[in-house]
Amino acid sequence: MTDDILIKVEGLEKSFGSLRVLKGINQTIKTGEVVSVIGPSGGGKSTFLRCINLLETPTAGKIYFEGKEVTAPGVNADKYRRQLGMVFQHFNVFPNLTVMQNITLAPILEKKMPKDQAEKLALDLLKTIGMEDKKDEYPKKLSGGQKQRLAIVRALAMQPKAILFDEPTSALDPEMVKGVLNVIKQLVQSGMTIVIVTHEMGFAREVSDRVLFMDGGVIAEEGTPQQIFENPQNPRTKEFLSQVL
Amino acid sequence: MIQDIFSTWGKYYYVFIDGIKWTFALTVITMIFGLPLGAVISFMNMSKNKILNGISGIYVGLIRGTPFLLQLYFFWLWLPKVVPFEMSERQSIIVALIISSSAYVSEIIRAGIQAVDAGQWEAAKSLGIRSSYTMRYIIMPQAIKNILPALGNQFITMLKETSLASIFFVGELMTAWKTVQNATYQPLPALVIVGIIYLIMTYTLTFVLKKYERRLAESDR
Repeated sequence: MTDDILIKVEGLEKSFGSLRVLKGINQTIKTGEVVSVIGPSGGGKSTFLRCINLLETPTAGKIYFEGKEVTAPGVNADKYRRQLGMVFQHFNVFPNLTVMQNITLAPILEKKMPKDQAEKLALDLLKTIGMEDKKDEYPKKLSGGQKQRLAIVRALAMQPKAILFDEPTSALDPEMVKGVLNVIKQLVQSGMTIVIVTHEMGFAREVSDRVLFMDGGVIAEEGTPQQIFENPQNPRTKEFLSQVL
Repeated sequence: MIQDIFSTWGKYYYVFIDGIKWTFALTVITMIFGLPLGAVISFMNMSKNKILNGISGIYVGLIRGTPFLLQLYFFWLWLPKVVPFEMSERQSIIVALIISSSAYVSEIIRAGIQAVDAGQWEAAKSLGIRSSYTMRYIIMPQAIKNILPALGNQFITMLKETSLASIFFVGELMTAWKTVQNATYQPLPALVIVGIIYLIMTYTLTFVLKKYERRLAESDR
């Protein structure tokens, strides 16, 4: 981890109609930092993550990426998102494309990477997740765990500066969880900046530099994994952890 | 009765054959022009531009909310008055068919596109793929599998709908029935013949479509 601030969130609020989901979030995420977001369902964890890469438009507040405000009018959201990967709970791999094409599509279209170079990159990435023999398969033939690992390397192929994980193992069969978590661990070791919304408390505790506990649309408590898991201060954090641990 | 049917066919088969040709031609022309028009309407419908959106909404609403027969009369009466050139009855009817089918086609295309999981859009967005590319490389290839079977059904519907145009004697199968009935004073045998022809046409088309759909499903691996 460095002291460079990669993502800065200021007074972030988000409402869906009359429902206030985020009620003022302030956060800075440093380059190389691994931040886990935990908390009960409906607490705003996913919405927070989706606001960071502008999949949701914030109702109020500002988001900065490398010092530039990305919530400012006229900012090209597509360009911004090319620097920020995202992995979804339901994988969202492209069923009409092969494994290889899933990975190479965005680099070829949006980074103007030559096809052979993109395919070489994709193959290297597939090797890191042990799926190079699946390169010509369609996602229909893959297990949930394989789909999610594919989704992770698809995001990596854009060579992003950070990756957001939105409950990456929640839709997986239990025996698939470990493989996906291992891929994320590899990323952590490579120094990637990561924000991960997760219900895997053991994992959050093991890999995170910092843990955020979100409840009721605010960050109710934050700290190191030791502080949050061993000595939580907020009664709501205590209650939540007592129910899930 | 059976004898009447055979003798009517034997004597007037060329009238029925002509009817088949026109029914088929009207249907094909309607689909060929209705398809691109419908595509444009559906994209207007899905666009964020409020004006385009409003226009397409009214267009589809008017056509789906009024009987096809009324539309036929309307264009038959109105078009010759407003176009700067000579327009035959048949041409007015063809325009009415095209406009009517385009509204239904636009709904088929819109539904097919919107049936693609929203997560596909989000994944593409998160990779920074602009929306035109997302549409072309990710959404449309998936949507087409919803759209094609529905378009096939629309084709069969149009084939039957063209019968309403017989009111204006455009020469398709139901006009053929009227022609033969006027010659024989026996409406029933000719009507049965026309019915059988319709059945053969729709069953053949359904068969072809089913086969095609199965191939489409197989490629979806």
